[in-house]
Amino acid sequence: MTAEIILPILQILVIVGFSPLVKGFINKIEARLQCRRGASIFQPYYNLIKLLRKDAVVSETSSWIFRATPYVTFISILIISLLVPVLSEQVPLNFTGDIILIIYLFALARFFLVLASLDTGSAFGGMGGSREMMVSSMAEPAMILSFFTVALTVNSTNLCNITNLLHNNSVLLLNPSLILAFAAMTIVLIAEAGRIPVDNPFTHLELTMIHEGMMLEFSGRYLALVEWASSMKLLLLLTILVNIFFPWGIADGLTFSGLIIAFALYVVKIGFFAFLIVIVEMSFAKLRIFRIPNLLGTAFILSILAVISLYVVR
Amino acid sequence: MAEHISHLFIISIILYLAGSLFALCFYGWQRVGNYIALIFAAIASCFSIATAVVALSAGSTIRLDFTIYHAIIKYNFLLDPVSAYFILAISVIGFVAAIYSIGYTRLYVNKRDTRFLGFNYNIFLASMLLVVTANNALVFMIVWELMTIVSFFLVIYEHENPVNMKAGFMYIIMAHIGSALLAVAFFIMFAHTGTLDFSFCFDDFRNVGSHMPVIYKNVVFFLIIMGFGIKAGIFPLHLWLPMAHPAAPSNVSMVMSGVMIKTAIYGFIRFYFEFLTPCPPWWGVVVLIIGASSALLGILYALTERDIKTLLAYSSIENNGIIIVGIGLSMIFKSYNLMALSSLAMMAGLYHLVNHAVFKSLLFGCAGNIYYATHTKNIEELGGLIKRLQVTAPLFLVGALAISAIPPLNGFFSEWLIFQSILNGFHIPSVIIKIITIICGAVVALTGALVATCFVKAFGISFLAMPRSEHAKKAKEVPVIMLVSMGLLASLCVFLGIFPVKVMMVINSVNTHLLNTNILPAITSYDWLHTKSVQTNFTELSPKSATVLGLMLFAVTFGVLTLIKPRFIKKIYETWTCGRSPEPRLEYTATAFTRPFKTIFSNLYRPQREVRTEYSVPNFFVKSIAYVSEVTPIFEKYLYSPVSRFVLSMSTKVRWVHTGSIHIYLTYIFITLIILILFVGK
Repeated sequence: MTAEIILPILQILVIVGFSPLVKGFINKIEARLQCRRGASIFQPYYNLIKLLRKDAVVSETSSWIFRATPYVTFISILIISLLVPVLSEQVPLNFTGDIILIIYLFALARFFLVLASLDTGSAFGGMGGSREMMVSSMAEPAMILSFFTVALTVNSTNLCNITNLLHNNSVLLLNPSLILAFAAMTIVLIAEAGRIPVDNPFTHLELTMIHEGMMLEFSGRYLALVEWASSMKLLLLLTILVNIFFPWGIADGLTFSGLIIAFALYVVKIGFFAFLIVIVEMSFAKLRIFRIPNLLGTAFILSILAVISLYVVR
Repeated sequence: MAEHISHLFIISIILYLAGSLFALCFYGWQRVGNYIALIFAAIASCFSIATAVVALSAGSTIRLDFTIYHAIIKYNFLLDPVSAYFILAISVIGFVAAIYSIGYTRLYVNKRDTRFLGFNYNIFLASMLLVVTANNALVFMIVWELMTIVSFFLVIYEHENPVNMKAGFMYIIMAHIGSALLAVAFFIMFAHTGTLDFSFCFDDFRNVGSHMPVIYKNVVFFLIIMGFGIKAGIFPLHLWLPMAHPAAPSNVSMVMSGVMIKTAIYGFIRFYFEFLTPCPPWWGVVVLIIGASSALLGILYALTERDIKTLLAYSSIENNGIIIVGIGLSMIFKSYNLMALSSLAMMAGLYHLVNHAVFKSLLFGCAGNIYYATHTKNIEELGGLIKRLQVTAPLFLVGALAISAIPPLNGFFSEWLIFQSILNGFHIPSVIIKIITIICGAVVALTGALVATCFVKAFGISFLAMPRSEHAKKAKEVPVIMLVSMGLLASLCVFLGIFPVKVMMVINSVNTHLLNTNILPAITSYDWLHTKSVQTNFTELSPKSATVLGLMLFAVTFGVLTLIKPRFIKKIYETWTCGRSPEPRLEYTATAFTRPFKTIFSNLYRPQREVRTEYSVPNFFVKSIAYVSEVTPIFEKYLYSPVSRFVLSMSTKVRWVHTGSIHIYLTYIFITLIILILFVGK
C-alpha cells in the first residue's frame, strides 16, 4: 500500500520539480557551445517564481477559454506524469490508461492552447495555433504508430508493462523494427517539444515562432503554468523515450537503494538526451515551415516501416 | 414480456403516425399543429426508448407479424437486440431533436407551413424505426423508400432556394440508385433461398450465403456495399451528403446525420453477419479499406470547409468511415473465427455509432443555434459568439472535444476501442491483411489528428475573438428549450465517456445475439481503487479514474497557487497588435487557419487561387483587392462528370428513336413482343 501512495507522489515530484532544470540545462549547454556564458541552469525556476508572484494582464477580447486554458494544459500534463514510469517500473495508477490516453491527453492540452491563441484576436496567436495544429497532426500519427510497434512487440499498450517487459528481455530492443520506431519517435519528440529544426523556442520574431506564438498573450500565473507545462511535456517525452528504449537501471519496486540507483541513471540518461537535443539544435537551422511536413512525413514512413517489418519478420 | 415489448413498439409507431396526422388537422393554426406533432414525436420516442431498453435487457427476439389486407405482402417485423440497439439510438436522438424543434421551428413561423415539418418529422422517425425492425424484404424496401422520400421532403423544406432544390434532387437520385442496387441484391439472394414462398421474409434469407455460388455471393456483396454505401456516404458515393445535410433545417440535419445514415450500418450488419455468412476475409478487408479511406477523405474535405453545416456533414462521412472500420475489422476477425476479437471490434463500431449520433446531433443543434441567432452558416462571418451565445458556446465546445476524441469525453473511448481492435489485428493469420489493418490504423490516427484541427477551427473561429460581421455582433442567445435539449446531449457525451461499462453492457447483449460471444466479463474488471476499468489483452483504461485524478490535481494546483499568491488580479487590457487598435480584420480567418493543410495536401485539394486587384492609379493606389480561393471537387470533376457526360451523349445518340409518333411506338411494342416470345419459346 505504501508503494501505491509514495510512487505517484514521487513521479509527480520528479517531473514537476526537474522539468525546469532540464530546460535550464539545455539553455546552459547551448550557450556554452555558442561561446557564451549563458544564464544559470536554475534560471527557469527564477522565472517561474517571478511569474507566479505577478498579476496577469488579460486581453479584453478574450473569454473564459483563455483563462481556463493554463489550468487545463497544466492538469492534463500532470495526469500524464502519473501514468508514465519514471523511476520505478511499477506505476500504481497504470489502470487509468495507456499510451493512447497519454497521446490524447497531450491533444487535450494542445486543443485548449490553440483555442486560447485564437481567443485574443491577435493574428500572431492564430498563426501559431494553425502551425501547431499542422505540426501536431503530422506528428501524432507517427507517434501513435511507433508506439504501436513497441506495443505489438511486447503485446501491451500499457507503458508500465512495456517498460517491464523490455527491461527483462533487453534482446527485444535490438529488433530492427524497434530501432526504426526509435528513430521515428526521436523526430516526433523534437517536433512535439517545439525544438529546432521544427520550431525555435528562443525566437521572438513573430513570423517564425509556433509554440511561443500561441503563448504570446499569457502573463503572470497563466504564463507560468503554460511555460511549466511545456517544459514538463519535454521531460515527459524524454522520459517515455528513455524508459521504453533504454530501460536499464529502472527500479522494479519500491526499495530505497533501487530508487537511488534508478534516479542516478535517470538523470544521466535524461542529461544525455538533453545534450543530444542541444547538438541537433546547434547543427541545424530551423526548417522552412513547409519543409516540416517532409521531416514529419519521414517519421511517419519510418514508423509504418517499423510496424510492417515487425509483421513481416514475425 | 414479449407482449409488453411489442405493445410498446406498436404504441410508439401509432403515436408517431397520430402526431403526423394531428399536425395536418390544424389548418389555420399551423404553429399549434407543429407543436402537437413534435410533442407527439417526443412522447412516442419515449415509448420506443422503453421498447428498446426492455428488449435489450430481455435479450430475446420478438416477432410481430401482420397480414392486413393482402395475402402476398406479409408485414413481418422483428425486434432482436440488434434492432433494439438501433431503435435506442434513433429514438434518443429523435426525442432530443423533437424538443429542440419546438424552439427551432420558431424560425419558420409565419414564413412557411410548419405543420408540414411536424408531419414529415414524425413519419421520418417512424420509418427509421420500421427500417431497423423490418423482417421482410418487401416491407424493408417499402419503409426504406418511405424514409428516403420523407427525408427528401425535409431536405427541400426551404425549397425556394435553388441550392436546396439541387441538393434534394441529388439526394433522391442517388438514394434511388442505392435502392435499386438493394432490390437487385434481394432478388439474387431470393433466387438462392430455395423457397417458393413469395413472402420474402428475412428468415428465408438468413445464412443464404452458405448455399450460394461464390460469384453470386460476391456480386451481392458489392451491390450491398454500394446500395447501403450511398446512404452511409462512403467515398466516392458521398456526393449527396454534404449537399443535403446542410440544406435541411438544422433540427432535421440532426436526425439525418445523427441516425439516418446509421441505418446503412444496420444494413451492413444484417447482411454481412446474418445473411451472407460465412464471409471470406477479403470482404472484411474491402469494407475496412472503404471505411478508412472515407474517414480520411471526409475529414480532409471538412477541414477546408467554411460553411459550418457542410463541415459537419463531411465530418459525418468521416465518422461513418470509422464505424465502418470497426465493422470491417469485425468481419475479418469473424471470417478467421476469432470470435472474441470480432466481438471487440463490433463493440468499437457500435460504440462509435452511438457516440457519433450523440455528438453530431449536439454539433448540428449548436450549428442550428448559431444560424438561429445570426442567420448565417459561414464561419468567416462569425466570431465572438462566446460572449453572445453564452450557453451554446460551452455546449459546442463539449461536442467539439468529444468528436476530436479528447478524454474524458465519449469520442475518446470509442477511438480507444477502435485502436485496441486494430492492434489485435496481429492475430490474423495472413500477413498482408495484418499489414492492411495496421495501415488503416495509421489512417485512423491521422484522421484523429485532423479532426482536432478541424474542430479547433470550427469552434475557435466562430466563437472566439471579435465578431467579424454585423450578424455576429447582434447575435442573441436562443430560446431555453433549444439549450435544454442540447444540454441533454452534452451530458450524454460526458456520461458515455466517463461510464463506458454501462454502454458496453448494452452492446454486449447485441454481440451475444449476433456473434454468440460474451466478452464482457473478459474486458471489465475491478481494481484496487474499486473503479471499474476496461481491459483488453493489451491494456486497461478507466476514464472515470482519469477524470477523478484530473479534478484532484486541479484542486491541489489551485490550492498551491492560491497559497503562493492569495490575491490574483487580472487586469483587462486590449490585445497587442503592433500598435494598431485591435479590429476584426486583423484576426486569423478559417481559411488562413487551414492554409497549411491546403499546401500539404495540395494533390488532393488542387487549390485554385485568384487575386484580383483594382487600382485607382495604376500600380500605386489600390482601390480594392478580391481574393478567391477554391478547392477543386475532384470526385465531381473526374468521376461524376464523365459518367453524366457519357449518359447524356448516349441519350442524345438514341434520341432518334423517340420520334413522337404513336404508330412508331406501337411498332416498337410489337417488335419487343415478338422478340420476347422468341426468347421464351427457345
